[in-house]
Amino acid sequence: MKILVVDDSTTMRRIIISSLKLAGFPDVVEAGDGEEALKAMKGISLVLTDWNMPVMNGLELAQRLREDSANDGIPIIMITSEGAKGEVMEALASGVNDYIVKPFTRDTLAEKVRLIARTHEVRP
Amino acid sequence: MDAVYINPFINALVHAMETMIGISPERGTPYLKREHATQGDVSAIIGFAGPNVTGSVALSLPTLVALKVYSLMMGEKVYRITSDVQDVVGELANIVAGGAKTELSTRNLGFNISIPTVVVGPGHTLGHKGDVPVIVVPFGFGKHRFMMEVSMRLK
Repeated sequence: MKILVVDDSTTMRRIIISSLKLAGFPDVVEAGDGEEALKAMKGISLVLTDWNMPVMNGLELAQRLREDSANDGIPIIMITSEGAKGEVMEALASGVNDYIVKPFTRDTLAEKVRLIARTHEVRP
Repeated sequence: MDAVYINPFINALVHAMETMIGISPERGTPYLKREHATQGDVSAIIGFAGPNVTGSVALSLPTLVALKVYSLMMGEKVYRITSDVQDVVGELANIVAGGAKTELSTRNLGFNISIPTVVVGPGHTLGHKGDVPVIVVPFGFGKHRFMMEVSMRLK
């Protein structure tokens, strides 16, 4: 399962990627914003994206991914500090499948990824 | 500024540090900022604005504290303020702003937050809005001390 991690913070990407590898998901690629992410979608099975990013934010990225049928069945998890109810609803409406609020523990992240991979029968 | 508006920022910072680096910082007594310069060497500031509120929140860390926070969060030691250390301080400020937003939005004080701006160097100043009072909240863990600054105006 190839996972795309999108965050403008290089250290947050490192934390997420190391957590995924520890949890048994070694195949991870990364992007620094939504535009870079759109160019890196080949072979991706799951997208983890931040919301608040320059150039193209996570909400726009989710909307763009959902507009393209090539991405049908690819779950999107938003990882963001934006945990207000209105933001969660807005993200889900834009096509995000699940939501993790920062700060998070490595265990929370791993469990969410495992759960959504099972629920969506993510392609290997 | 009423404590009810400052507490969400304090709660968010404590929760972020407990979760991300396993430290429970102790809070000192907040006071009104009178001097221009910050006390830290690395600061991250985030502006926020919503229908009923506008302001900014900043974290300001001495070099040793910034290096300590980085090493605890990333599991590796560094000996100078690198771009990654600045990134960690910015991300911590982002998490604080997001956490405070979540709590304040339940009081009809929701807002949008900006991308963090990180400033490095002793005696630097931060771009809070000039006409809005800034509350400084001191924090500490072990021998380390650092500051959070909150500036907020209700519309």
